[in-house]
Amino acid sequence: MEPVAAREPLIQILSVSRRYVRGVDEVHALENVSLSIAAGRFVAFMGPSGSGKSTLMNLVSGIDRPSEGEVLVAGQSLGELDEDELAEWRARHVGLIFQFFNLIPVLDARDNVALPLLLTDLAKSERLRRAETALRVVGLEERTDHYPRTLSGGEQQRVAIARAIVTDPDLIVADEPTGDLDARNAEAILELLRRLKNDFGKTIIMVTHDPRALRFVDHAFHLDKGLLLEGEDAERADRAVQLAAGGGLLSAAGAARPGGAA
Amino acid sequence: MGLPVSYSVRNVLARPMRSMMTAGVIALVVVAATLFLGLITSLKRTVAISGDPMNLIVMRKGSDNDGSSQLSLEAYQAIRFFDGIARDAADQPLASPELVVQPFLRTKDGGRENVLARGVEPVALQVHDKVRIVEGRMFQPSAGEAIIGRGVASRYADAELGKELQFGRGRWKVVGVFDADGSAFESEVWVDVRELANDAKRPFPYSGVRLRAASPTDLARLEKRIDDDPRYALDAQPEVEYYAKQSESANSLYVLVIGIAVLAGVGAGFGAANTMYAAVQARTAEIGTLRALGFSKRSILVAFQIEAIALALLGFAIGAVLSVLLALVLNALLGGIAFGAQTFTTNVITLRVSPSDLIGALGLALLVGVLGGLGPAWRAARLRPIEALRKA
Repeated sequence: MEPVAAREPLIQILSVSRRYVRGVDEVHALENVSLSIAAGRFVAFMGPSGSGKSTLMNLVSGIDRPSEGEVLVAGQSLGELDEDELAEWRARHVGLIFQFFNLIPVLDARDNVALPLLLTDLAKSERLRRAETALRVVGLEERTDHYPRTLSGGEQQRVAIARAIVTDPDLIVADEPTGDLDARNAEAILELLRRLKNDFGKTIIMVTHDPRALRFVDHAFHLDKGLLLEGEDAERADRAVQLAAGGGLLSAAGAARPGGAA
Repeated sequence: MGLPVSYSVRNVLARPMRSMMTAGVIALVVVAATLFLGLITSLKRTVAISGDPMNLIVMRKGSDNDGSSQLSLEAYQAIRFFDGIARDAADQPLASPELVVQPFLRTKDGGRENVLARGVEPVALQVHDKVRIVEGRMFQPSAGEAIIGRGVASRYADAELGKELQFGRGRWKVVGVFDADGSAFESEVWVDVRELANDAKRPFPYSGVRLRAASPTDLARLEKRIDDDPRYALDAQPEVEYYAKQSESANSLYVLVIGIAVLAGVGAGFGAANTMYAAVQARTAEIGTLRALGFSKRSILVAFQIEAIALALLGFAIGAVLSVLLALVLNALLGGIAFGAQTFTTNVITLRVSPSDLIGALGLALLVGVLGGLGPAWRAARLRPIEALRKA
């Protein structure tokens, strides 16, 4: 594990809380969470359902706003941006991957991938060329004119990954990217994400339940009941996940280490 | 750049059944609007083109149509030699004394309708120079013969060459069919004016006189001279004005038709809104995805609005084709559309769907699309990405 100060943090979460009202109850989805993530790292947010990991991911990607605290990405405080500015910022800096792929059913693979490029000034031919390149990176160059309904779950997630990287964003955020896939496809997707980090230097944040993810990430943040686990609690959570995935395998692959910075 | 138009169009095509049902409702509105507009336009056109800018109609003062006017032989003799009336090759003034009566004729489907029978002299064909005999010949005076307009020929029983029409006290053999550029004359039966006067036992031989002026200046001068002449209490007015007044009844129909069209349009608007609300509901996660990817509220609003407009255009296209076909079928089956004129006689109109009627219907369809799509599109645009994505 590299020292925390070795790299400039791309993401800084500073004393962030997120509360919302559900019915008559106030839900504390996140409480006073602080962490930083260096550029070029592949990290996981892990924890049981309701732990706040998806909320944290939504705050980092600018889809949601904190009730308190500040989120800084590459020096930009997301709280300073209004909703449309935030949309524009996401388009430029964030590639999003969803659990259920969220492809547009009426567009073929190439048009789905080219979709975020509509928000750029690129000519159509260039947009399509880049979409095809992105599809090649994820190994789907033969499927460019296929519609989502004709692709398998694994292929659809690859299209979604191609869509996430087509704008060459600084940050890729993946919400349970293996959640709807079988074991073989899940590993292939995790491997692909790791390759994006290794070969293209992308910073990747992944929310996951999947214990296999520990073999692929540089670091795992564990959350529980809206709190970021640190110190011994975090190490305990890490061990529990390793056990769930089979410890031998994990130690052989060089498991990620818990903590408050990555 | 926002979402491409093809995204919206493909979404319309992706739900063929729902889209076709909504487009079908819009198409019905288009058919209704187009046919009603077509009917009124045809009616107005029929009446409007009946007036010749060089002709004057002379009637008794106080009459508002030639059916209620009476004119003596003496008056006709006096005015036919006024200066400023155009003359034919034989130097005879182009003054056409005319008598109109409104007998009943049997329609081909067994009904009875008032038809305008006009007694004329041969000079009428020069005064009303749009009237051309296209089959047979002109009637012979005092021979019990008649010529009939195309509209009459298509609609009434026995209204064909060689057959006899029965009205008044006599029988009239059809010897010719005339065309009048689609004007109201095509809905008339023309016979010899003296025979008709005898048949109708009128105390005055004429209803009025049509004069062809030698020039526009002469037209104005003649009008004034006849109006000012104290002897016969006559009123002269340009034919164009006369027929414009006759077509005023069509204006109130316009209001009625627009009212009906707007009501139908509101219904169709609700249909379009319903479809689009369902589309927004079904695609909430998709909208969330697009917003999360960075598309602005405006892009989403425009995309859904275009989708509603695409539905409306689809409805318009179906409706336009249907209304043109229906107009053809109605004309063929009914022999034209019968329309009561202000004089209680029947005008037979060929229903034509003109480009302006279609443009009117297109405007209505677009309005339905825009207004029907506005609410759903606004709701889609206002969805917060975080909430929309939760619906995935």
